[in-house]
Amino acid sequence: MTSLVEVSNMYFHYPRAKIAAGDVGWTLHDISVAIRPNSTVGIVGESGSGKSTLIRVMCGLLRHQKGSVKFDGREVSEYEGAGVNDLRRRNQIVFQNPRRSLDPRMTIRRSLSEPIRALQERNPDDTELITSIQRVGLGPEVLSRFPHQLSGGQLQRVGIARSLSVNPDVLYADEPVSALDVSVQAQVLNLLMDLRDQLGLTLVMVSHDLGVVSRMCEEIVVMRHGRIVEAGRTDSVLAKPASEYTAALLRAARAASLERSTAN
Amino acid sequence: MLQLRNLRVAIDDQEIINIAELDLQPGSRLGLVGESGSGKTMTAKAIAGLLPDETKVSGSVVFGGQNLLELGDRELAKIRGKRIGFVFQDPARSLNPMMRIGKQVSEAIRLHTDLKGDAVKAKVIELLRQVQLPDPEALVRRYPHQLSGGQQQRVMIAAAIAADPELLIADEPTTALDVTVQEEILRLLISLSEQRKMSLLFVSHDLGVIRFVCDRVAVIYGGNIVESGRIEDIVTRPMHRYTAALLAANPGMPKDDNFSAYIGKRLQTITGSVPAVGKFPSGCRFRNRCQHATESCSNAPATSTVGQEHRYACWNPGNGGR
Amino acid sequence: MPDTTTSATTPASAPAAGRPSLRKRLRRLPITLYVGGTLVSLFVLVALVSFVWTPYPPNTLNLFNRLAPPGTPGFIFGTDRAGRDVVTELMLGARNSLYVSVVSTIVAMFLGSLIGLSIAGSKSVLQGSLTRFVDVGIALPGILTALVLASKLGPGNTTATLAIITWQVPVAARVTIGPARQILALDYVEAAYGYGRSKAYVLRRHVLPNISPLLIVLGSVMFAAAILIEAALAFLGVGVQPPTSSWGRFLNETQSLLEAAPYLMFFPGVAIVLTALGFNLLGDGLRTVLDPQQARSGLA
Repeated sequence: MTSLVEVSNMYFHYPRAKIAAGDVGWTLHDISVAIRPNSTVGIVGESGSGKSTLIRVMCGLLRHQKGSVKFDGREVSEYEGAGVNDLRRRNQIVFQNPRRSLDPRMTIRRSLSEPIRALQERNPDDTELITSIQRVGLGPEVLSRFPHQLSGGQLQRVGIARSLSVNPDVLYADEPVSALDVSVQAQVLNLLMDLRDQLGLTLVMVSHDLGVVSRMCEEIVVMRHGRIVEAGRTDSVLAKPASEYTAALLRAARAASLERSTAN
Repeated sequence: MLQLRNLRVAIDDQEIINIAELDLQPGSRLGLVGESGSGKTMTAKAIAGLLPDETKVSGSVVFGGQNLLELGDRELAKIRGKRIGFVFQDPARSLNPMMRIGKQVSEAIRLHTDLKGDAVKAKVIELLRQVQLPDPEALVRRYPHQLSGGQQQRVMIAAAIAADPELLIADEPTTALDVTVQEEILRLLISLSEQRKMSLLFVSHDLGVIRFVCDRVAVIYGGNIVESGRIEDIVTRPMHRYTAALLAANPGMPKDDNFSAYIGKRLQTITGSVPAVGKFPSGCRFRNRCQHATESCSNAPATSTVGQEHRYACWNPGNGGR
Repeated sequence: MPDTTTSATTPASAPAAGRPSLRKRLRRLPITLYVGGTLVSLFVLVALVSFVWTPYPPNTLNLFNRLAPPGTPGFIFGTDRAGRDVVTELMLGARNSLYVSVVSTIVAMFLGSLIGLSIAGSKSVLQGSLTRFVDVGIALPGILTALVLASKLGPGNTTATLAIITWQVPVAARVTIGPARQILALDYVEAAYGYGRSKAYVLRRHVLPNISPLLIVLGSVMFAAAILIEAALAFLGVGVQPPTSSWGRFLNETQSLLEAAPYLMFFPGVAIVLTALGFNLLGDGLRTVLDPQQARSGLA
């Protein structure tokens, strides 16, 4: 099966990161990863691992300096002009902090319609928006509200609805549940799984929480200091980590987690 | 050594906390677990006397024989920092970015102990060593932004234990930290508590973390303690429906290495969400979201006990099944 | 009865269903809006009325009644050194002072925020140098610029306006850069790029509305400064010249009359203070009203 997103030997640094001539402060080193359509991939790592940067390069929001990043067979840089909208539409991001990802001065209705207005150049009517919002388990009354009137869980659902409004192929989720309470987290994770199944989405999820990733993602990529330490099927990587770092992460995660003997 | 009795906190005539009874034994580590809006931070603040002026507080918080709620600001200030230490969530925000580490820790020492001059400097180094920071002599001259999150939190802990308090209150101390760093800090707290016979009140939303650190736990929902007891009892045989639901919703990690059984499995959710202050139902505060609520739940549940110290307030308890 | 629906529809705080009556909504508006609005409207009204009517025709000199104290029959507030009726002078002065201050503040705010937003949105490598440029602009002594302008263009309203604009634009720009950059670092801006919005759109539709409270406050402060600067310029001979009236010029005249008629400075002084206060309060009220979190009446 051909990959939907294919990264080969990619290097990335933020502007102004050149420390001395020839010595660049790369944020991402020699990254190679492939995402198959309809798969769910978890990218784990600690702070400074580059995981959030990686998904932004993968969806084309940040431009890499070396190596190749291909979406649907074409280099990301080849999607120029009108093609850029195509790239954007097919790759959407859900952010970590629901209170920072919606403009506090825009109504939910407006925030929800933004992607369609920008990428499809039309103004969606309420019927369409209501369908969108009901799909994430919210009622039409939230459309006229402002972000400060909704709870964190509701806002996160709005964020998900917003990114799905343009029917993307790939949904990148950057720590989508880290800012939420356990019970709300469970609701949102279930929602993501349901939507992924209903819409045939490819889901790439960044998380520091191994417990969450082991539930959601069949494949896992472990990052550290901007490099990929290990990657593969979640159950094999976590059951038998090849790298000492992964093993250390697993130990620490286990220590501070609840042990379960069943999945439900 | 810490006893809460009939602690009630109200803002604008809305009662937000109502705790009939909560005890912390000397040398013990008690976890206070709840989600946002549960009142856990408010409870910690009530104990510390740090509630905003507009709140009305009644009841008793007995610490070392004195009711903290009856003390004036001056006397409370003497206890805070000296006999009760505090560690908060985000060390970057609790540390003064313009002050060197050594100075911040020495401030705590000067305020709460009688040490002066060189003795203070020596104590700073000793404290930094006790919290397992490498090369303390060099560290004292650094500024907070030059330290990692984990190191900053260790500095906070050092300042908190400077006067050798009997009780340490920690509010989500590791939430902002990486998982490997979290484990180290939690182990540090455990060892400090054991070595110094210092009690620990650990406030968190994370049951997994609490299970690691604490020997006892109290579950708080809507300002009420719904269940309390020894940690293993609560985690393996939860009685209150909310506790059971909280445990079930937690993704957790598989006991064995059988990860494939978990992938794609839905989590158990709690219907609805935590109501806003003042919008809780009468009687049992959880009844609108509970699958097992009955007519009797419209009356506030009485507290029952099962086994040793395991108390809960539920008319239709789960009897330990999940 | 247990609630078995699975949707989480309990919001943190929901406004009452249906819109409250107009009366109720008007009552919930902040008082600063009313007081400020009233003051400002009053002075605008006075300025406009002065075009069609003043107690005495402009520049009527009453040489028999020079420096008449307030309460003199026919002259409620008295007269100035040349016998001109104070009320008339105030009304006429309103025109110029308001004109210069309002125009210069609006233009300076517009240009300043435009420059500030552009700098905040420019490539990070450039931002440092561009900000330094603005700092140089702030460092330029305003009075000097005004004098230079006056020597080229001659004194008058236009010169005063231009001078104030030159003075204030860098300040407005500098104040805008910081907050604009903070907004640009937020997730909802990144999300906007993610669905294809251009930087210009983001600056216009996301950054600007979210820094508007700051801009409104800045505007009211700058307006107050403009009035005072206009007075200073009039004193230096850069602003309007006699016989054209201006509050600033009037105020400066009264300084030399401190012994003969100490009460006289009260009139233009209070006029300036009240107008500046009015704009300040209006700005404060507007800021509250436009903030979706504070405007319970949902005017936004």
